[in-house]
Amino acid sequence: MAHGIVGRSDLPIPEWLFGWAAAVVLVVSFVALAVLWPQPRLQDGGLRALPGALSAVLTSRAVEVVCGAVGVGLLFLVVYSGLRGVQVASANFASNFVFVVFWVGLVPASVLLGDVFRAFNPWRALGRTVAWISQTAAREPMPAPLAYPQRLGYLPAAAGLLAFTALELVASSGSQPKNVAVATLAYSAITFVAMALYGVEEWSRKGEAFGVYFSLFARISVWTRRGERLGLRKPLSGLAEFEPLPGSVLLLAVMIGTVTFDGAGEGPLWTGAAPRIQDLFESIGLSPEKALEGAFFIGLCAGVALIFGFYRLGMTGAASVGGNQSVKRLTRAFVHTLVPIATAYVMAHYLTFLLYQGQSMKFLVSNPLGGNATNIFGTADDAIDYGVIGATTAWYCQVGFVVVGHVAALTMAHDRALVTYDKARLAVRSQYWMLLVMIGFTLLALWLLAQSNG
Amino acid sequence: MLILAHAGHWLVSLAYFAPVAAFVVWLVIVTLKERWAGRGRDHEEKGSGGGGS
Repeated sequence: MAHGIVGRSDLPIPEWLFGWAAAVVLVVSFVALAVLWPQPRLQDGGLRALPGALSAVLTSRAVEVVCGAVGVGLLFLVVYSGLRGVQVASANFASNFVFVVFWVGLVPASVLLGDVFRAFNPWRALGRTVAWISQTAAREPMPAPLAYPQRLGYLPAAAGLLAFTALELVASSGSQPKNVAVATLAYSAITFVAMALYGVEEWSRKGEAFGVYFSLFARISVWTRRGERLGLRKPLSGLAEFEPLPGSVLLLAVMIGTVTFDGAGEGPLWTGAAPRIQDLFESIGLSPEKALEGAFFIGLCAGVALIFGFYRLGMTGAASVGGNQSVKRLTRAFVHTLVPIATAYVMAHYLTFLLYQGQSMKFLVSNPLGGNATNIFGTADDAIDYGVIGATTAWYCQVGFVVVGHVAALTMAHDRALVTYDKARLAVRSQYWMLLVMIGFTLLALWLLAQSNG
Repeated sequence: MLILAHAGHWLVSLAYFAPVAAFVVWLVIVTLKERWAGRGRDHEEKGSGGGGS
């Protein structure tokens, strides 16, 4: 499912100059933080609780059951429409829902509203239902699940996200509704086995790719839940509470690197390199289609490696300023700062995709199978309005997302440095390197947007 | 003409990343200056320490 937009011709300055301006904004923000932010402020987010009755209703078992049922219903609809509907991605509910509403749309929803996916997670809902039925039938406590291996950390989630993006960006027919349905079934089977082994909640928090993915974006949100209480916390403080597990950096590198590849994949750099890599695979006996998929997988992994390597380089530089901080310790201490960057990348890159293709839900809710099958709500003949946002407005929004995301990341890095280093001078000096990382990611994001929009 | 067109494209791409290059140069200069200043302080401390004993 392609998602570029048409080029712009009415910008007052060249696109690359926006990159320079963004770099200046980051430098000014860095100086302002060094002068005006002398004490850590984000490490304790506090909680301004909602009225007790409202918290009680929103966290009640009834609401949990309804949300879980909606999630399970959508899961079944994806599988059913994918298997039984017309095999055209743009005309079938399965492909549009999974790649647009679920994969992209839930990112801003999580940032704005908190961890909404946790409430609607169909695998968690089904897992808890099966556990409840088993326990009720057995009339005695079920055996405790296995302890989740600490060394696995977020590695299963990172692998799951990489596999999903490979389905979207590498497989030549990955967005075909039938393949989306089969992949959904395969992922569901793996998830249920893992939940049976390690427990529903433990796997949902650490191993289930989408649960982990959306929970990271939700940490940006001001909305949080502490036990049975819902409330507001300081913006960004949820990320400061993030406890990195093994694989955290790889997980974030997958989140940013796959978007990086998606952007670069539409530009001349990749379209020039891909046929050469494809030739290489063909020379070892792969068919042209498989060879092209192999080339795209190499590109996808290269995008992840680029992000991982650049972040690691920045942390190596930060460790060189002293303060008895190892590269490994700094790498884990600052990994949460990559989450606003991942948000900026997703929102900027997929903005027009979400605004245009997301409208397909208008007619797909009436006709999930596509073709002339049904017209449940009378909207099956509606069409996408491509005038909903202009190319120039979209560009300004994209630049805004990129700059705000990176300034937020810089702020969090500064706040964490004040906790990590006992001398303010070392904290600021270590952040020179973080500033380099942020400027690099910012310019990469804008360059990628120009590649895919141009 | 094709080569010139490619060169133009590469130049625009390089223009995007010019601030990174400028920042790296600045970072290297700052780091080297601090190292030299540190060595200078070490020499002074050794010199004053040696004179006192």
